[in-house]
Amino acid sequence: MKPVAIARVNLVRFFRDRSAIFSVFLLPMLIVLLLGAMQGGASVPKLGFVSAADDALTSELLSILQGVDGFEAVEIDGEDSAVRQVERGGLQAAVIVPAGYESTLRSGGDVEIRLVIRAGQEVQGIGEVIGAVITRQATLLRTARFAAQKGAGTFDEALAVAEVAQVALPPVSVEATIAGEPFVLAGLGQFDIFAQGMLVLFIFLTTLNGAANLIQSRQLGVTRRMYSTPTPVRTMLAGEALSRFSIAIIQGAFIFIGTWLVFGVDWGSPIGSTLTIIAFALVSTSAAMLLGALVSNDQQAGGISTALGLGLAALGGCMFPLAVLEMLSDTVYRVAHVTPHAWALEAFQALVAEDAGVADIAGFLLILVGYAAVFGVLATWRLRKVLVR
Amino acid sequence: MVGAAWTIARKDLKQRLRDRSAYIIGIVAPLGLALVFGFVLNPLSGYEFDATYAVADLDGGPVSRIFVDNVLTNAEGIEVVEVASVAEAEALVDTEVTPLGGADDTNTADAAIIFPVGFSDDVQSERPVTIRVIGNQGSETDAGIAVALVEGYASELTSVRVAVATVENLVGGEVDRLATGVEVLQTPNPVTLRDDTASTKQLDGVTFYAAGMAIFFLFFTVQSGITGLLEERRTGTLARLLSSPITRASVLAGKMLSSFVVGLVSMVVLFVATTFAVDADWGPPIGVGLLILAAIVAALGIVSLLAGFARSAEQAAATGSMVGMVLGFLGGTFFDVSQAGGILATLRFATPHGWFMQGLADLRSDDLGVIVVPVLAMVAFGVVTGAIGLARLRKGLLP
Repeated sequence: MKPVAIARVNLVRFFRDRSAIFSVFLLPMLIVLLLGAMQGGASVPKLGFVSAADDALTSELLSILQGVDGFEAVEIDGEDSAVRQVERGGLQAAVIVPAGYESTLRSGGDVEIRLVIRAGQEVQGIGEVIGAVITRQATLLRTARFAAQKGAGTFDEALAVAEVAQVALPPVSVEATIAGEPFVLAGLGQFDIFAQGMLVLFIFLTTLNGAANLIQSRQLGVTRRMYSTPTPVRTMLAGEALSRFSIAIIQGAFIFIGTWLVFGVDWGSPIGSTLTIIAFALVSTSAAMLLGALVSNDQQAGGISTALGLGLAALGGCMFPLAVLEMLSDTVYRVAHVTPHAWALEAFQALVAEDAGVADIAGFLLILVGYAAVFGVLATWRLRKVLVR
Repeated sequence: MVGAAWTIARKDLKQRLRDRSAYIIGIVAPLGLALVFGFVLNPLSGYEFDATYAVADLDGGPVSRIFVDNVLTNAEGIEVVEVASVAEAEALVDTEVTPLGGADDTNTADAAIIFPVGFSDDVQSERPVTIRVIGNQGSETDAGIAVALVEGYASELTSVRVAVATVENLVGGEVDRLATGVEVLQTPNPVTLRDDTASTKQLDGVTFYAAGMAIFFLFFTVQSGITGLLEERRTGTLARLLSSPITRASVLAGKMLSSFVVGLVSMVVLFVATTFAVDADWGPPIGVGLLILAAIVAALGIVSLLAGFARSAEQAAATGSMVGMVLGFLGGTFFDVSQAGGILATLRFATPHGWFMQGLADLRSDDLGVIVVPVLAMVAFGVVTGAIGLARLRKGLLP
């Protein structure tokens, strides 16, 4: 089998280069680890609490904040240090209470609490929660001020009565429940969403980078020499395609098994995810063949494949999940689905979040095979001309 | 010596100008990626809060109307759908997720708010009262905001109850509870929260990626000149060059100079292009310029270190891209690693990339003094690695 022999030689050549082992096996795992750690670190936002005064109202505010679910309140020394930690990412937000908080309030003055929040959508809403906590504390103070203004008594008298009234009266309460189906990403674990994205990103990127090999073979005259032997062009093409495809499958299998073993990533149905990996490896292979046919300089191919590999991945939802893109803008979401990446991710997501079987993702797989067919036909048509020139 | 170095650099630069791959790696790839990130993330900066809340006001009294007509209607981005019954409200939030992900936007609500019968009277009495909120699971954030709004109003009402009771207790008789309540609501809160986030030194998403891609690809862009040296050694043109009265130092200086210029041109083009194309905001040009210069020094140093230990140009290029990738990812050019916490968040300062990004973020303060540390850190990277690398390369040039 000549194509197999060609592929075998290519594979040996590819993996002899130690940097290939790094980019195929180590880098993807490193990035999944990095992203998973980022997600894990941000899941409990840290709130810095800075107080210049050590009075009862300030400590009460801190203990209310510490009792709120959803973030962890920690005391920080110094305003500048807290702001700096928010800027550097150590804290997601900081609340800065001015000196003389209690004494100013008791004397009827106004107090301003400073709030600084880390930029980024994942901590939105933290400001509202902090605001609600502060309003709750200010209730008594406003009551006392109001009563004093009405001439019903002094500030201190009113405060004392209000404290009793607050305990005695039932509050106006809120009963919050949920309905409907959960958000698409809700069922996914810490590493799941990144493992899917990085698997798709790296299969495409690595395979596309392999286009440089094809160009080198052309430049060095390997393909012309092979042509002088009784080897038809279609055999050469099959051999090249098979080597790209096997590298894609080897990498896909490694990330699939590696993330499952190391990070406990849930891939859903094994048959479904295997088929998705195969379909996407086909797309990547034919895209690489097409790039190898269109570009004639291996250095250029290196730059173009890196840019395309990363750019299409960013566009297709490998770096920012599709559900997030949809929330941001319909246009971005639609453009994402021009890339084959988005369809592969849809399949992976359906397998995990919706417990889908092979039949449920058949549509996505067909679309991927369609991409592979279109790229493949274009590449073959073009390569037949240039391979032996 | 300077003359010879300049001649060599000029020759290299002319070659680069004709080489299309230099444009691809130095400009097209990073700019293309910055545009993609800009396209994906720009909606985020222009992201407008847009939610639909169903309200079943079974009470219709003054206290529930204040919430519907004032609080909800005055809040930006909220559309109110009033329904007559709890069942109707429930139907609007109990929706299915479409196959492509996300909730179907038509005829649904992100949350339903229900005021029970007799709500306004109960609030003015001392009986317990409850407002119900049903959030749509498919739109967690918008539902959360509805809960926060209602809870805010409920705690205002509780506070009014306490205030009315206090006044009544002090004056020793009943007052007009509704009128007094409205007055309480109009009394400004003594404690206010001032959001100072805008004044902090943080990069927005678009600038983050524009700068991140620029520095990431810089380590690839500057490789060509230095690995070109190894290529010339292999092909023998270097030996011929050294047989002329040109010193090894001039050859090295020439190669470094051309790499430096290529790096500088690429960074400046990216700085200007992303500023105009995607509204990236890098900061004051002098500070940005200093950071860029320091970054190029660091990149040159690291690339010459790798070239110094490489046996061939191919090997130098391979290790160069490997190291460029790892430093780029750890340095937080693709993802904001400062969010990772722990070792990963600190590890970024072991890369020039991390210092470059932090320097740009610090530059937000418009105080040039803040970039001294990042600039020195990057220059230190460059000088230490460069000294070792150039010494090795110089030895390797011996005929």
